Amino acid sequence: MQKIKRYPLLILFTLFLFATTVADMCANNREFSEMENKYLAQKPAFSWSQLFKNQYTPKYETYINDQFVGRDWWITVKSVSESAFGKIKNNGIVYGSDHYLFEEYQTTDEDRIERNIGFFNEFTETYGKRVPVTLSVIPSSYAILGDHLPAGLHNVDQRAYCEQIRPQIEAEWLDLFPVMEQAAVDAAAFNASRGPNEEELLAYYRTDHHWTSYGAYRAYKAFVESRGKTPVELETLAPYLYYLPDFYGSYFSKCKLYSALPDTIAVYDLPVDSVTVGGERKPTLHNAAQWEVRDKHAGLLWGNADVTVIKSGNNLEHEEGKTSRVLLFKDSFGNSFAPFLTYNYDEVYIVDLRSNLTPVSELMEQVAFDDVLILYNFMTFSSSADVARITY
Amino acid sequence: MVFSSLLFLFRFLPAAFLAYYLTPKKCKNLTLLLVSLIFYSWGEVRYFPIMLSIILVNYLAGLGIGRWRGSRNLCRGILAVSVVFSVGFLAFFKYSNFLLLNINALFGTSFPMLEVTKNLPLGISFYTFQIMTYTIDVYFGKIEVERNIIDFGTFVVLFPQLIAGPIVKYSDINRELKDRRITLDAIQDGIVLFILGLGSKVLLANNIGALWTEVESSGFAGLSSLGAWVALTAYALQIYFDFSGYSLMAIGMGRALGFHFPQNFNYPYISRSLTEFWRRWHMTLGGWFREYLYFPLGGNRVSRWKQYRNLFLIWFATGLWHGAAWNFVLWGLYFFVMQSFERLFLRRFLDQHRVFSHLYVLIGLQISWVLFAITDMSKTGSFFSLLFLPHGGNDWMYYLRNYGIIMLVGVVFSLPVLNLLRDRLPRLCKWLEIPFLGLVLLLSVAYLVDSTYNPFLYFRF
Repeated sequence: MQKIKRYPLLILFTLFLFATTVADMCANNREFSEMENKYLAQKPAFSWSQLFKNQYTPKYETYINDQFVGRDWWITVKSVSESAFGKIKNNGIVYGSDHYLFEEYQTTDEDRIERNIGFFNEFTETYGKRVPVTLSVIPSSYAILGDHLPAGLHNVDQRAYCEQIRPQIEAEWLDLFPVMEQAAVDAAAFNASRGPNEEELLAYYRTDHHWTSYGAYRAYKAFVESRGKTPVELETLAPYLYYLPDFYGSYFSKCKLYSALPDTIAVYDLPVDSVTVGGERKPTLHNAAQWEVRDKHAGLLWGNADVTVIKSGNNLEHEEGKTSRVLLFKDSFGNSFAPFLTYNYDEVYIVDLRSNLTPVSELMEQVAFDDVLILYNFMTFSSSADVARITY
Repeated sequence: MVFSSLLFLFRFLPAAFLAYYLTPKKCKNLTLLLVSLIFYSWGEVRYFPIMLSIILVNYLAGLGIGRWRGSRNLCRGILAVSVVFSVGFLAFFKYSNFLLLNINALFGTSFPMLEVTKNLPLGISFYTFQIMTYTIDVYFGKIEVERNIIDFGTFVVLFPQLIAGPIVKYSDINRELKDRRITLDAIQDGIVLFILGLGSKVLLANNIGALWTEVESSGFAGLSSLGAWVALTAYALQIYFDFSGYSLMAIGMGRALGFHFPQNFNYPYISRSLTEFWRRWHMTLGGWFREYLYFPLGGNRVSRWKQYRNLFLIWFATGLWHGAAWNFVLWGLYFFVMQSFERLFLRRFLDQHRVFSHLYVLIGLQISWVLFAITDMSKTGSFFSLLFLPHGGNDWMYYLRNYGIIMLVGVVFSLPVLNLLRDRLPRLCKWLEIPFLGLVLLLSVAYLVDSTYNPFLYFRF
């Protein structure tokens, strides 16, 4: 008893150290962290050659960190502490007003932009005479919702970059900046006067880097109008609409802000005749199994695949005896966007160059398209090396 | 392995200390030697033989000098061989590419860089200096020859101070190597120091330093003057808490093992001259250069001209010790110039003007950190112009919003506040000590689990 009184710190520290160590060694390994939306490192296999190359020990340390007992709890403790210190960012994610999360994005890869412009132009030169090609850059949420950014943060001016890119592009240019700005204004106006039971309308998610289905619809509308077509009215799609609450997106997974407000995904489960994802027939338009886990967005259109084909009888402008087709090159922003195109084209082909195995030239030979749309978020446009595959 | 890692805290630390305490007194050094070798090899198994050879050469040199004590020339020869051998490895790994680079630049040659020396053997700058204190002191007859190779090896590889100091002289701990008492009081004191050190590194240095790294990686483009000052202050706090934090952890662990390592930092930012700063900053390094370079050169007891030559040499060496690049040499010579001014006339003025002297030190140090932090010297000039010529912008608002509070905490802890509180309010402090340390420990672990920025700054030293 006397000792406990004299050495409280010694006893507490020793208990903490050994208890945590033993608990950590006994804890089961996890494959995947729902909270962080990432695969966790597993115990590396030991080999002498790895050890001598100094490759084994860093792997082992990552393994210890990833599998540390109570990892999610510790992460939350850090997040609370960061907020207590008044920090408005963590791990590259910035906390804006109205619970918006944004990316801290202060430099961009200008060389990559130049190269990607070259690849897109090469594609347009090759096929532009046969089929009209439209190119559009999707602004990131911070570039549209700038009012919500903290003062003094100077992110890359995506609009200015796009103004520079525009004259170099040989395809038709669709400017989405005014479109998304108007969408944000309209959404705010709707929210100001919405009824108590109506879902909030947003152009971009708060906790994720993607646009919402509403944002995607507005871009769809702008695109088909630019092609001289009539867009489907969003209200008429209400029967196919359901909501997925409690969506914590990619920004949340990075910053793990304990006080983040979850988003709601509006899913348009549109009627289709067939969906083929990477050559495989799927029973539904979206992957509903994904609604149960944290990364719900990856369920839209079954995530990113090589070539996805949607066939439907939705086309409002269908002509008997003719099959109209559109080809969309996209990143993950396209997954909520593409289904709307079924209302103007009989068949929608979707290519994600990041997981592309089928040569684009083969596809262009085999299928006759009426329209091609290249639709990339600014950040993918300025970082993706896979764009080169559009010329294969 | 670094102290600020989960692997160290929750695998190595409990296992090593348990093994150490359970070992009977006679064999404790052997246990310590073995766990230290595991600690070292974990980070850099390839360079293990180098350390081993340096240990052997110096051990044998000690024996040789003891054996042929009568023959002065022979002893001198043995000392020379051991010093050349020890410093040789350091020079080869640390400076050969730097030398080649300069030869290429000077003569237009194109010698290729050496691949082997791309990575510096972990802690080589620290353990080379430590081991040399033994052989030199044996040569001058200050200490007894160490005949037990286990005890000698233990002194060199002792894991707490092996990779980032403090630089422990053999004479600091030679008695404790043979006979030391491990008491519960000492262990508890060691735990306090360890937790404070861990908090300094993980909570203060890492969190504040992220700002500097962020600004530096953007290449200072678009930075405002105020933003530059904020970022530079962040660097000054980072380097202090990182370095002193490592030293505190080392001293704390040493205490728990039964050793008394020398103090390494003593609130350097409250100094009133740059000369005083160096008596409070990395004290064991300053002490080493004084004892093993400055005094042998004659120190102050030579002509005026030679005094300044000696000063020049130790500052040149101090700069070069911190990294094989010209910016570090420049950084060292900056202190040579400032210290010379202080000796010549400034000192008296500083002593009389309290507020001015603090301002002078703070700004003087900020300037030194610019030289130290920016290794790409083509950017040094533009950073100075950011500091001293007005550049507008509101980026500082964002920096302060994110880092203001933690930097303020850093400033408070860089002053002797804890000591003051303990003197003034001893009862309250006793009550608060455990909750405070517990919180620091818990938060440190949390920040290590979700670590986004946890650099090891001494890979260059």
